[in-house]
Amino acid sequence: MKPQLKNKTTRREFIATVARTTAATAAITISAGCAHVKTAPRGNTGRKRIALIGTIVRKYSHAQHFVDRFLEGYGWRGQWHRPQMDLVSLYVDQFPAGDLSRDREKRFGARIYPTVAEALTLGGSKLAVDGVVLIGEHGRYPRNEKNQVLYPRHKFFREAVDVFEASGHAVPMFQDKHLSTRWDECVAQVETSRRLGFPYLAGSSLPVTWRIPSIEMPLGTPLLESVSVCYGGVDSYDFHGIETAQCMSERRAGGEAGVKSVHAVRRENVWKIIAERPDTQRLLMAALARSHSLRSASEGYTFPVLTLDWIQRASPLVIAYFIEHNDGLRTTMFLFNGAVRDFTYAGLTREGKIISCQMYLPMPPAISTTADFFNPLVHHIEQMVLQNRAPYPIERTLLTSGVTLNAVESLHRGQVKLDTPELRVVYEAPAQSTFWRS
Amino acid sequence: MPLQKIAFVIEDFAPDTPSQQLLDRFLIGYARDGEFRKIPDLQVAAWLAPAAENASFVADSATNLAIRERDLKLIQPPNLAVAVTDADAIVVVPAVERISVSEESLKNVLERTPVGSACFVHGCLAPTLAGARRVQSIAVERKLSLATGTSVASTFRLPDVDASEGAPLTEALIVVQGPRPMAELSAIEGLSPIVARRGGGESGIRSVRRLNGRDVWRAGDSDDWSWALLNAAISRSNTTQGDALKDARTQDLVRLGLVKKLAREPRGWIIEHRDGLRSTILVLDGAIADFNFAVRSRDGTITSAQLYRPPAPNRAEFDRLAAVLEDFFATRKSPWPIERSFLVSQFIENVAA
Repeated sequence: MKPQLKNKTTRREFIATVARTTAATAAITISAGCAHVKTAPRGNTGRKRIALIGTIVRKYSHAQHFVDRFLEGYGWRGQWHRPQMDLVSLYVDQFPAGDLSRDREKRFGARIYPTVAEALTLGGSKLAVDGVVLIGEHGRYPRNEKNQVLYPRHKFFREAVDVFEASGHAVPMFQDKHLSTRWDECVAQVETSRRLGFPYLAGSSLPVTWRIPSIEMPLGTPLLESVSVCYGGVDSYDFHGIETAQCMSERRAGGEAGVKSVHAVRRENVWKIIAERPDTQRLLMAALARSHSLRSASEGYTFPVLTLDWIQRASPLVIAYFIEHNDGLRTTMFLFNGAVRDFTYAGLTREGKIISCQMYLPMPPAISTTADFFNPLVHHIEQMVLQNRAPYPIERTLLTSGVTLNAVESLHRGQVKLDTPELRVVYEAPAQSTFWRS
Repeated sequence: MPLQKIAFVIEDFAPDTPSQQLLDRFLIGYARDGEFRKIPDLQVAAWLAPAAENASFVADSATNLAIRERDLKLIQPPNLAVAVTDADAIVVVPAVERISVSEESLKNVLERTPVGSACFVHGCLAPTLAGARRVQSIAVERKLSLATGTSVASTFRLPDVDASEGAPLTEALIVVQGPRPMAELSAIEGLSPIVARRGGGESGIRSVRRLNGRDVWRAGDSDDWSWALLNAAISRSNTTQGDALKDARTQDLVRLGLVKKLAREPRGWIIEHRDGLRSTILVLDGAIADFNFAVRSRDGTITSAQLYRPPAPNRAEFDRLAAVLEDFFATRKSPWPIERSFLVSQFIENVAA
């Protein structure tokens, strides 16, 4: 069974793109028709079973948010929702002080296994779960020379796929955040999912959380430019900011055409570029006008006069990624640490109309206790496992991963503009909206 | 008609008080429909009429206003009469700890307000129904457009739902937190706009039943209010307390029986409306820390949402209220019927009794 995605890229095009750009992935061999997805054996209850592979499970770690939603349930559509599947096994890579995985194992019986393979086989010899959730976020891991945290995302993926291949069948997989810190690994993962034919969903909660106002980019919008505004670090929250823009941009007329260049810059270089781009300035102001966390300019005031001058003063360490798409769309992602603490978007249509909103994350501990922006993400994982179909294309995450990696590289090389022929990732967004609105 | 002069009559002025949040939006500008809007050529005047005896607090308020006079050309007239002269809009805001200004103070303002102006009173019009009617009669005499309310009535909803016009609602519930009567005011402010859309519109309050402590739970167990609606409302919360504070776990507070354990001093109000609608207000400090409601239609359908109050210090719900007020002042057409203010005052009178 092939993934049920409306991919505009043909398999041939995709392989050609990959082969042009990386030697490693040029070695990928695709044999059409070798997909092996079939219904995996279920437990005695008849309910589907899933395994979660995580780096650490402590308060506010991503894995904790996923584990607890599968075990305890969560608020969904105005009632308490218990997933129609059982989280039966865990692999946890690190057990720091404050570990919660053992408490969850004790209370719910979701057994912690010593290896990824055993978590997927429940200690047996064959794949024994119906879905796999990979959470490679948080924990103590080394950094490379680009300051990227080397989370074991690809390792988790590879070990899970080894079980799929050894078992002769594969099951739906979700992977949190960007796919890996190396482009060839990102591509290999997507290609592997296609080769084995399993639904593969990935990315962050930004595309699926509440929007304020609750709007969608109309499918087929003639979009000229997108701007997202957020906060946080490089190779961290920047990915969320890129996803914030991409989940809107991908709905433009013609669909996603891929990215031809990425230029990441800091501080005054940001404003030099912005000075030549009045539309970007306009979109920046529109996105900021959707923020609920603007830092006041002066003592005694609770919000600033929203001007370009204010944002320049409020965030002297600004970082921006200037992204050019193959069809001429421009995307700019701003990290305004010190000025905002939320995620906002503005897009400019050919008619001059601006479409803007906030992607609202009720972030603990400041304004929530339970990080409920993970609710829609868990819901989509559930639907994927139940329906054997990813709700939105993995190509989005492949592209946002690639943009993130190139932005990190751009900064590492001294804020140079990078041509990105390898990011010719072409796809169409699903017509149906997938953000939280009910 | 373009708004030219707005006068604020306020009892305090400190960061993150309703007076500051509202006044600054007319003085500095505010976010509206995806843009930062500054009303052009608007004169903003403020008359500080301190309700508190605390001298340092009064001094702080005066200092904060003086900064705005220096930086932003805020007008600080010498007395109330000058403040409201020529104003085409008046905003009256009680001190942060109060739900209303005194009836005498409000009468004083309205009697000096230029005939035909628009006046918004933050909070409730008066703490009694009779008082609210007396204030309204002055507004009628002077041909003033009068509206009251708080930001809860116009804030964001997650999801962005409303009762459909003419909906056959049979029951409503809202869960809030905080001291009495501020929490109760927020609750009735949050729920009234939704239930007023039901078939036949708002019919008024027939009775209010007070519940305290264990009586709250007994009433729920007797179906005097609906656990199902509480479950729907709490499912919209992002701030469950208890174990979530310890380790961020999600928890089904209702089905696990944790609501009763966490809310140790619950308060409840069951409002019977004249058309048979039953509205329940639950003040559950310790269970959750946000405002959420649920309403049931005759066919059993439940609609629920969080009344989202964005974080301090921006408190973006005041952007929404400022937009409502700007339109009100421009059109002189009250954003909601004055009868809603009467209903709020009648309820608050019961709360205070």
